[in-house]
Amino acid sequence: MFDCEVNVAKSCTELTQILIEPSARILAGGTDILPGMRKNSIGKPITLIDVSQLNELSYIREHEGQIDIGALTTHSKLITSPLLLQHAPALIDACASIGSTQTRNRGTLGGNLCNASPAADSVPPLLCLEAVVTLSSHDNQRQVPLSDFIIGPGRTCLKQGEYLDHITFAVPQKHTGTSFMKLGRRNGMSIAVVSTSVLLRLDQQGNIEYARVAFGSAAPTPICSHHAEAALTGKTPSAQLFSEAAQAMRTDINPIDDLRASREYRLHSAGVLLQRALQTAWHQAEMDLR
Amino acid sequence: MTTNTSVIGKPEIRKDAAFKATGKAQYTADLQPEHAAYAVLVRSPHHHADILSIDKTLALQQPGVIAVITAEDIPGLKTFGLIPDQPALAINVVRHIGEPVVLVVAADKASAQSAASKVVVEYKKLNAVLDPIEALIDPSPLVHPAGNLLAQFNVESGDLDSGFSKADIVFEETFTTQRVAPAYMEMETSLASYHPDGTISVWVSSQEPFIDRARIAAALNLEVEKVHVLSTVIGGAFGGKEDSSLAIITAIAAWITKGTVRMVNNRSESFVAHPKRHPVKIHLKIGAMNDGTIIALDGKVWLNTGAYASYGPAVGSLLTEMVAGPYNIPNVTIETKVIYTHTPYSGAMRGFGSPQAHFAIESAMDMLAERLNIDAVEIRRKNILQTGDTLPTRVHLNETALGLEPILQHASAAVARLRKVKAKPGKHSGVGLALAMQSMGLGNGIPDNSNHRLEWLPDGRVLIHLGVPDLGQGLVTVAEQITAEALGLPFEQVVSSPFNTHTVLNGGVVCASRMTYLVGNAMIAGAKHLIQELIDQAATLLNQPKDQITYACGRITLPDGNTLSASEFTSRAAEQGNPILVEASACFPYPEATTPQHLPIGLPHVKFLFGAQVARVEVDAELGIVEVTDLVAIHDPGKVINRLGAEGQIEGGVVMGIGYALYEDMSLKSNDQWINCFTEYLLPTSLDVPINLEVQMLEYPEGDGPYGAKGLAEICTVPTAPAITNAVYNAIGVRVKDLPITPEKLYQASQTHIGNHQDTTESKR
Amino acid sequence: MNKLTVHFTLNQQSIRLETLAARSLLDVLREDFALTGAKDSCGGDGECGACTILLDGEAVNACLVLISQVEGRHVLTIEGLTPDGSLHPIQNAYVQAGAIQCGYCTPGMVMATKALLDHTPQPDETQIREALAGNLCRCTGYTKIVQAVQFAATELHHDN
Repeated sequence: MFDCEVNVAKSCTELTQILIEPSARILAGGTDILPGMRKNSIGKPITLIDVSQLNELSYIREHEGQIDIGALTTHSKLITSPLLLQHAPALIDACASIGSTQTRNRGTLGGNLCNASPAADSVPPLLCLEAVVTLSSHDNQRQVPLSDFIIGPGRTCLKQGEYLDHITFAVPQKHTGTSFMKLGRRNGMSIAVVSTSVLLRLDQQGNIEYARVAFGSAAPTPICSHHAEAALTGKTPSAQLFSEAAQAMRTDINPIDDLRASREYRLHSAGVLLQRALQTAWHQAEMDLR
Repeated sequence: MTTNTSVIGKPEIRKDAAFKATGKAQYTADLQPEHAAYAVLVRSPHHHADILSIDKTLALQQPGVIAVITAEDIPGLKTFGLIPDQPALAINVVRHIGEPVVLVVAADKASAQSAASKVVVEYKKLNAVLDPIEALIDPSPLVHPAGNLLAQFNVESGDLDSGFSKADIVFEETFTTQRVAPAYMEMETSLASYHPDGTISVWVSSQEPFIDRARIAAALNLEVEKVHVLSTVIGGAFGGKEDSSLAIITAIAAWITKGTVRMVNNRSESFVAHPKRHPVKIHLKIGAMNDGTIIALDGKVWLNTGAYASYGPAVGSLLTEMVAGPYNIPNVTIETKVIYTHTPYSGAMRGFGSPQAHFAIESAMDMLAERLNIDAVEIRRKNILQTGDTLPTRVHLNETALGLEPILQHASAAVARLRKVKAKPGKHSGVGLALAMQSMGLGNGIPDNSNHRLEWLPDGRVLIHLGVPDLGQGLVTVAEQITAEALGLPFEQVVSSPFNTHTVLNGGVVCASRMTYLVGNAMIAGAKHLIQELIDQAATLLNQPKDQITYACGRITLPDGNTLSASEFTSRAAEQGNPILVEASACFPYPEATTPQHLPIGLPHVKFLFGAQVARVEVDAELGIVEVTDLVAIHDPGKVINRLGAEGQIEGGVVMGIGYALYEDMSLKSNDQWINCFTEYLLPTSLDVPINLEVQMLEYPEGDGPYGAKGLAEICTVPTAPAITNAVYNAIGVRVKDLPITPEKLYQASQTHIGNHQDTTESKR
Repeated sequence: MNKLTVHFTLNQQSIRLETLAARSLLDVLREDFALTGAKDSCGGDGECGACTILLDGEAVNACLVLISQVEGRHVLTIEGLTPDGSLHPIQNAYVQAGAIQCGYCTPGMVMATKALLDHTPQPDETQIREALAGNLCRCTGYTKIVQAVQFAATELHHDN
């Protein structure tokens, strides 16, 4: 038994009405909020808003060079999407690494973002894709870059009465490679000790025209490393360059000591993962070039 | 003794398997009698504190609340234990986080939880000592008034000083192991029902239901006969269910409320308030000759036993015996201290001290081998125990050790084979070996018998009234196979009754790798009685001379050559109200003439199990990630009774050992709370175990074992961790001396080591 | 705490249930329907898989499903795997492979296996290990469980 009220939203309109209640918390996949409630780590009182009937928030669509993902799309649905396999394989790798089959069958992309964990696996690849989230309330809809959406551990810029409606990113241009790498303490059901995602676009000469680098579990929120991106942009890819990017990244991330690893080990392994992720993304982009 | 057997060794399917596969098997928490109340505990949030007051008022006003119980309400003995230092409910002081303080009984779980949150306990926090070495330094906070040193064991043989003086090489190393949880999937649970006639029934998930019964009776101030202890299906135990705590508390709740009460620990309670494997520090000083022969060993051991004794002293004594490992070392001194601290108590867990001892000695063997530039297999071959050798306890080894040398041979072959496998790109591969030994039985001086009954049913089947519950490991199947073999019956013709202290004899505690041996011998003895009874019946009924009637395979043969089915007589006997029911008992032998008597009770052990495991790892040296790709487990169970069950037990033991080596650590977090959930306490998943897990079983029969059988339960988890740390060293030159191996530790160590060693391993290949 | 009425299909039966809303599907199954095959082991963290059931054919942890979330859905528990309670080929494979020791994880394992084989009738070993990575077992070391899934896949393939 949970210590809360439960309200079922039958439509998005109804959702926006119920969400005005200050104690309202959306229950999507429930894979984080329910264990949190059992451990009393979530402030009370709580009114859970069950959104499981809002099928209209579960979709993956492409239109005019953009991909929209409904907030209630489960990880399982994401990782079997041919569209995402073609355009966002790093996002698929990231979502496939979340929890177990059971978790992925319940957990949603919107839930992963709103939960705002520093270790949220879906976030680094979405940061690389410069995803934008659309937030809705009863009288308004606004778009916020994902990088501004998550503002701290467990904190987002969602206002009272607002919900995350969908996530949008542009289909990457040609000659782009992406990758996601995650280091956990074990293979099954692992939580990121540190994770990284990169996106590289090459010009016709094979030089890096555009680079995005993001990390999870390396700062209070998943973050981009603008120094690493700057170190890469306009350069010819090489192991040496990637090693320089790994150095540059250290000024952007700020990991903590916790149960899973020390700050020092995270700094080190973030660099190792980044170099490997860059190699993978580079090879992908080169294939795309040929 | 090798005979042709028809049931022994066969992969018979355990009879509860279909029941479990369909979800019909009911574990204690699945029993939900109507009108059963539910109880929960208010537990200590502090390592060490005085209880200043307990205010039940608010809690008692909550809807559905039936009773709020504290220690003073317990009618009988308020503490329990082998050393009775453990209060069922805290008395004036709490000594570890999670200690039960107040028991709240309500109509249902939600009401009980809600009321429990309204109990006000006022504490005065006291200084706590969590480290066993600090606990021995004066002045340290005292866990119990008599001092923090709970027990000490000393074992000596030969002349240590002269051993060291003769040695070509002497070196010292310190090893530490972490606190780990048995983490059985079924948490502790109990169901107790008060009966108006002044008796009580208690369902337990326990390895020691007869001990539970005695403790419940003492706590309730009842005669033992008034307490019925029963078991339904049990969801794993691994030593951790040698603990009566929850059974006693549930019984108290039912007794005081004169009703039926259920209790089920949640996972976090299971972590903090039930036995763990001891965190241990072991210091070894080893003296050896240049040819690899070890001639002296000085061992010092500190066990952190936590707030209560539980089986801590017994673990300490067994660990003392195991420090020298399966090696013949002439001059040995071991000193072991079992120390109280304000931590969740440690007690019995699979291996009972042996995993810690072998982590130390098997690491040290490889370190010695490297110093002397001798191969890891060779150095072990030089030193392993042989029949006729004398242990540090002065026990002369008999044929119990015959399997050790062949085990090493097989291990050697596995090492050679796995060394040839190339590492994946970017990875460093390494192969490691560890041997292990494990005692069987409770130890000299402790009553070590096991009593059961066999009944020949009217329909010709035989019913075992087993005096112990099956923990999930398959003991019932082993008993049924041995009984079937002994009576020449098909496996299907032997069945077992559920456990109930009122209908079975005392089979003892299910522990100490002794059940196959003891239960098996008891069944063979019982089968002989059954046959004799049957013949007597036949002789009387048919008026024939006893000595001319023979029995085989469920049939009686009369002097005239005619044969009759056993059921002809068993049905007649039952009709006459005189069923064929016999006692089936066995006793673990500690022959006085050959068992040294100079040691404390529980020492020495006289029968041993041996095994070896070879691990191949691939290490991502940059990240410190270890993958165990291959593990070959070689064990001598004496005789395999059930191949499927034996393999399964070894596979499970290996994976538990992998958890010990790589993942599991119940440490204190920065918020001063113990790790208490599966999000943080990482068990190996199906993706964290070797794809190539190979089991090899060599059978060197124990002369007096049932069909030669010995045991398996614990030994299979003992060598895993050192085999893996040895493999990691072989791969990247980093010696992990404190478990578990973490990426962090490998990274820190490899900062200095990796460059040098890489070349040597490369050149070795 | 509020109540609500939920309509769903439980093991092929239509159910209308009036209940307190803030309950997990696991609690409802065990307490209201006496379907105790689904077990609690991790205490509701979704970390052990012992309460795995199928929700619209997908393996989920019943401890992490709120009862209101099953409105209009199909719930299949271990008790409903075969109509007459006989052994399903997956269950039979677990029995024959020696994949069952204490058995506490077994119902969850069997249901996770069912979901896997429904979607991927002939999985390779990696797919099996990945599909079962959310189901902890402390007794078997998983070897015989993986073998059981392989047996079951072969058996079901022959049947079709």
